[in-house]
Amino acid sequence: MLSSKKFLLILFLALTLPLAAQDTDAADTTIYDLLLKNGHVIDLQNNRNGRLDIAIIGEKIHAIGENLPASRAKKVVDLSEYYVTPGLIDIHAHFDQKGAWLNLNPDHNTLRYGVTTAVDAGSSGAKGFEKFKEETIDKARVRLLAFLNIVGAGMYGKGVENDVAQMDVDAAVAMVKKHPNDIVGIKTAHYQPTDWEAVDRAVKAAEMSNSVLMVDFHPKEGRGYEDLILKHMKPGNIHTHFYGRLTPQLDENKKVQDYMWKARERGILFDVGHGSGSFWFRIAVPAIKQGFLPDTISTDIHKNSIMLPRAHLNNVMSKFLNIGLSFEQVIERVTVNPAKAIRRADLGRLDEGGIADIAVLKIEEGEFAFLDSGHGKLTADKNIRCMMTIRKGGIIWDAEGISMPDWSTAGPYSNFR
Amino acid sequence: MSVQLAAFLLSLVIASPVLGQQYDYILKGGHVIDAANKIDGVMDVAVSGDKIARVADGIPADQAKRNIDVSGYYVTPGLIDLHAHVFGFPGALWPDDTQLTTGTTTVVDCGGSGWRTFDEFKETVIDRTRTRVFSFINIVGKGMVGSEAENDTSDMEPEKTAAKMAEYPDLIVGIKTAHYARKGYTALERAVEAGRLSDKPVIIDMRILTGYDRTMERIFEIMRPGDLRTHSYSDHQVEILNRVTRKVQPFTREARKRGLLFDVGHGNGSFVFPVAADAMKDDFPPDTISTDLHRGSIFTTKADMPNVISKFMHFGMTLSNAIEKSTVRPAKVINKFPELGTLGEGRVADIAVFKIRKGVFGFADAPQRRLMANKKLEAILTIRAGKLVFDQNGLAFPEWETAGDYRRIPTP
Repeated sequence: MLSSKKFLLILFLALTLPLAAQDTDAADTTIYDLLLKNGHVIDLQNNRNGRLDIAIIGEKIHAIGENLPASRAKKVVDLSEYYVTPGLIDIHAHFDQKGAWLNLNPDHNTLRYGVTTAVDAGSSGAKGFEKFKEETIDKARVRLLAFLNIVGAGMYGKGVENDVAQMDVDAAVAMVKKHPNDIVGIKTAHYQPTDWEAVDRAVKAAEMSNSVLMVDFHPKEGRGYEDLILKHMKPGNIHTHFYGRLTPQLDENKKVQDYMWKARERGILFDVGHGSGSFWFRIAVPAIKQGFLPDTISTDIHKNSIMLPRAHLNNVMSKFLNIGLSFEQVIERVTVNPAKAIRRADLGRLDEGGIADIAVLKIEEGEFAFLDSGHGKLTADKNIRCMMTIRKGGIIWDAEGISMPDWSTAGPYSNFR
Repeated sequence: MSVQLAAFLLSLVIASPVLGQQYDYILKGGHVIDAANKIDGVMDVAVSGDKIARVADGIPADQAKRNIDVSGYYVTPGLIDLHAHVFGFPGALWPDDTQLTTGTTTVVDCGGSGWRTFDEFKETVIDRTRTRVFSFINIVGKGMVGSEAENDTSDMEPEKTAAKMAEYPDLIVGIKTAHYARKGYTALERAVEAGRLSDKPVIIDMRILTGYDRTMERIFEIMRPGDLRTHSYSDHQVEILNRVTRKVQPFTREARKRGLLFDVGHGNGSFVFPVAADAMKDDFPPDTISTDLHRGSIFTTKADMPNVISKFMHFGMTLSNAIEKSTVRPAKVINKFPELGTLGEGRVADIAVFKIRKGVFGFADAPQRRLMANKKLEAILTIRAGKLVFDQNGLAFPEWETAGDYRRIPTP
């Protein structure tokens, strides 16, 4: 016979064991591949602006919250000195590297600067896009999207780009519809004749393909900028290079023209597209002081603009930070706004369950200088630097090895490979 | 044109009508390191056209159309990267945005092209870059296009390789053999034969692995004085160190004594901190500093020239010594000295300006481990054949606010 004490003990165990087992089942025992600790997260789309942890499993963000347990992570990286933002988006780049000479390699001109999504701005047209896709887009580690040039042959010099016969609306529309995951819209650029043919065909192609239009515009007599942004372009269309010398956005007293405000009201978007000719402090500074800010900050990065003006995205962002935008305003213009502009609601934000594309940034203090397109210098005290980039959950850029073990304690030789 | 810009341009053009400005510009007040001319101190460097016109202390500012204040910085000959990848190899990079921006004005493509592809290389890269580009031609006719081609001994033809080299004696500075993953020494022997026919050096990347039936001693025997082995500080290729004693192998020292040269070739997999630390401790520094910069290493190890130099400085090399191994020494290896690698008067004005930053910096090696160091060499400004191509701090340009309605402020 069992004693009553023993019986009670057995009864107690019999009743509580399943409960204990249940408790264990209920607790979260998820193991994180990577835990980003204590960074200052700026994720404006989700109203996050403060210290948070981000847990990553595989390619995805598993959780975002306070005090996520380090004990559950295979790897923990302390980001308490840095800002953590959604992977940055550069909507004006030139990466059809097997195409025109000016184009650059996409990966190291983006991922090293926190850019996880870049949009090639019309380097290729309907005739060359599929080669661009096969040789570059599909091989790039950065997410590479494209505006399709309304010119079938793409950007191969003024002769081709002025040739209306090259601007086949139906061919462009068909190509956009064939590659909806890669092509976000239509681009028109560099058109010199004094008619509206290039703009109007591009507008039509964007409308017919229900996609976004980006316009690079050289005003001519009888083909003015005001008419472009108030009459020819449609709401949601983007005018790039709007700090270029050719864009009459200021009057002779450096006052922002009324039609700029009107165009903004009707939904025209204004993109930086820095490049080697399209960013001038003497235009940007007065416009910003009057409250006319860019909608999106982008580079127009290519073989020339990357040299003296150093127009990679961190450089262009730093220029705006030093002119007087807040850091949040800068981040908004390289995450939330470009994602909206190219109609990719999934990008420019940090979501549990979403792809883990993340930038880790630092604002360096010191003495820095930045050149504009005319080589005018802005001496400044802040510089935005990308410390780490995560693409599809993997650390692809770690500027100072903050995620790495110290060499002197990691054993003598590596027996690497 | 605004009054300010007019005044600025005027000051550039006609500041000293009496003396006349014999120089286009002067780099003022920098610490010049020019090993070939035994200069290691504060000097001014005057440039006219594409040439170095004068190097001296206190060159009067009014003798130049323009002055660029580089005090607080180091001024060196443009660096020469003996091991770069700018063609053929799938990881090849465009050199202007990756090398000119890091103080490197000359690169040698290390085996991207072979004799079959050199013309394409010349046409698409060498003739179009602002960076000065030379070639170590691959002994493989097709070049560095993958293991199938690189193991095909029937495409390793010394005569045809030497014939292409004779066609471009100024551009092709030597022969590369790399990635040979078959038994024996055939690739090396063919490369050395091409080197004998052309009288140019061979640079080798050759692994010793189980089953390859190769020894390091024999490889060194086949190599000739003046030939180089690259990837010297890796630990998975030819080992320069004894793993147990952590000392330099006697046959390695013997090879150096015979005149064989040891190049860094950092890259993605070929530089390991403990190997470099032990080798430096045992007095075995590299002869030449080079990067093996490519699409992989630019992310993992960030091994551009200033990065690799910073690592060696941490292990005890002086900046002056590192600059010599990045200018004079590589220029001599490719038989371009003294045309390149010095700031001698009358030489081409390929010039780099650097800063040593102080703080806490992290560096990574091949197995992705971190070295924390207190100094970091950073490229500030680069001049290629007299022309300013990179200017991180805008030292050569005026403030935008006082420059008025400029169209484009001229580049020195």
